[in-house]
Amino acid sequence: MTKSEKKTVLIVDDEEDVRQYLSMALTDAGFEVVMATNGKEALDKVKEQQPDLISLDLVMPKGSGVRFYRELQKNKEWAKIPVLIVTGHARDDVGKSDLKELTMSGAGIYLEKPVKPKSYISGIKQLLGMDTTDEEAEEADKIKIQNDLKNMIDEADPEILKKLQKLMKDQNK
Amino acid sequence: MNKLPRKSVAGLEDWMCRSLFEQVPFNVAIIDRDYNIVSANSNFSEYFGPWKGKKCYKVYKNLSQPCLGCDARLTFEDGQPRLSDESGVDQHGKEAHYVVHIAPLTKRKGGAVKYIVEMSRDVVETKNWQMEYQLLFERVPCYITVIDRNYTIIRANENFRKNFGDVVGRKCFEVYKKRKTKCPNCPAARTFRDGQVHRSQQTGIKKGGEKAHYVLTTSPLGRQTDQIAHVIEMSTDITDVKKLEKEVIEAERLSAVGQTVAGLAHSIKNILMGLEGGMYIMGRGLEANDREKLDQGWDMLERNFNKTTSLVRDFLSFAKGKMPELEIVDPNELVEEIIGLYKTVAAEHGVNLRADLDTKVSAVPLDPKGVHTCLTNLVSNAIDACEMSDSKTGEVCISTSDKNGVLSFIVSDDGTGMDSDIKKKVFTTFFTTKGGKGTGLGLLTTRKIVKEHGGKISVRSKTGTGTTFRISFPKSRLNMLYREEKSENELETQVRERP
Repeated sequence: MTKSEKKTVLIVDDEEDVRQYLSMALTDAGFEVVMATNGKEALDKVKEQQPDLISLDLVMPKGSGVRFYRELQKNKEWAKIPVLIVTGHARDDVGKSDLKELTMSGAGIYLEKPVKPKSYISGIKQLLGMDTTDEEAEEADKIKIQNDLKNMIDEADPEILKKLQKLMKDQNK
Repeated sequence: MNKLPRKSVAGLEDWMCRSLFEQVPFNVAIIDRDYNIVSANSNFSEYFGPWKGKKCYKVYKNLSQPCLGCDARLTFEDGQPRLSDESGVDQHGKEAHYVVHIAPLTKRKGGAVKYIVEMSRDVVETKNWQMEYQLLFERVPCYITVIDRNYTIIRANENFRKNFGDVVGRKCFEVYKKRKTKCPNCPAARTFRDGQVHRSQQTGIKKGGEKAHYVLTTSPLGRQTDQIAHVIEMSTDITDVKKLEKEVIEAERLSAVGQTVAGLAHSIKNILMGLEGGMYIMGRGLEANDREKLDQGWDMLERNFNKTTSLVRDFLSFAKGKMPELEIVDPNELVEEIIGLYKTVAAEHGVNLRADLDTKVSAVPLDPKGVHTCLTNLVSNAIDACEMSDSKTGEVCISTSDKNGVLSFIVSDDGTGMDSDIKKKVFTTFFTTKGGKGTGLGLLTTRKIVKEHGGKISVRSKTGTGTTFRISFPKSRLNMLYREEKSENELETQVRERP
């Protein structure tokens, strides 16, 4: 596969609007796009033509994202496909455990809805190990820092956070 | 065994008297006018000790002179038998309680009484039982009252008096509930009528004016079931339990608020995603002067604005925390109403909506608005499920049933069905599989309404085969809620009217 060849991204999301939006952003950035509305359909698409990357929503009817992901792991070839999770359920009870399973087992990074086109494209490029423009590299760093920060804040002791907040306020005075 | 003497009739009588004297289960003593014990049986000696040559007051009570108000004296004077409750000392010096029958011994009727016979029986055991019973009655941690057929309280235990005041002689409804007339559905009245034990949950007003919640058991006093003269009312105070229950509900509510806020954030994030997408596509359309993209982006923006509206509407209806307002309604009529409302919409989506009504179903207390909301939620879900399925046509059926005192509404479809992952999450706040169409609140609101009615909602589903939701309301629970709601309203008025 040469660099000039177009990479294919499989978008899996049950929401029409999200599919339209992400596919346009990807096409504009020079990717080939395949779409599926649920996990079951996505599996068929993977069988048809193996994509270079999968952009995956977590909560969908007819086969959730996690189920689809588990299916992928059963196949040696498919298990290598990088997965970018795009979800709105990153921090609630519905999605938390699913997300943990995915990120722990190495699915890669996740983006929390709503997603800006720039962060989306740079996230995808980063996972594919593609060259990024300076701007995109910066964006990718930003995502990483944001994600790390989010995780740290989620896990931090609320008391310490309160103290920190107070310290920061006092400094600004 | 003694052989029967054959000497004479007089001898036989004498033998019988002697034998009876010895064998009756009483302490028998014969006393003369000077209080001397002239004869006594062996039961007497065993109980009171040696008696020969002693005065009765010495033997019975260890006194040195006749007892004050001696009953024997009176019988010597008027020849009338007597019965009295006495306390004395037994042969070991221990306190003794006994009942004494005093009978005169005369040669002929109306003649002077030369001797009396005193038959006494130990009642220490009975006394103890009485005391135990008394203690139990007074100290048991319940309220106990005994009422007569006019609902007048003739006895009340300590706990009751402490909480409701000195009440003997007053009417029970006046004391328990501060009413002027008999309570409707009075369980004591039922016990008077049928002689059975009845149990119910009641709310009363204590002497200080605070509310008391208690479980009341009424049972007939005495064994015969006809013409019951008295009913005993025993109640356990569950005010504290009720308070705890309230606290638990409050804690649950708070944690639900937390979950709800998280879910709400998720819904808003999804809408923002749509707006973000709409803006991006419109931006591209403007850049390229592409009318098609402009339209596409505009549509997306519009859809997501509409989503905000329906989210707010559903959210408000979910957040409405109220008790169901129960009215007597015909469940089948409610279903007919829903069918009327949705028939056309369903047909437009290629779905045949029909009803399968059980004619045995009769009117019950329900909150018609609440149940209406539940059924519309389930029906619109079912239509969506049919639409999502691979088959072109679908069928949704609403049925009712009344079995074993449980009223059920069943909404079934032959749509797409759910897998176990989704089934687990259907009652989670803001969980939706309908993409942009759903807010994830419909089933949750439905479950909330069903629970407020004391009912249950369950789901059976198989991917590709369809889904069945069943709402069941135990009718006894509905009737109880209805009664509680009514009596609660009455009580509120009374509490308000109290000076």
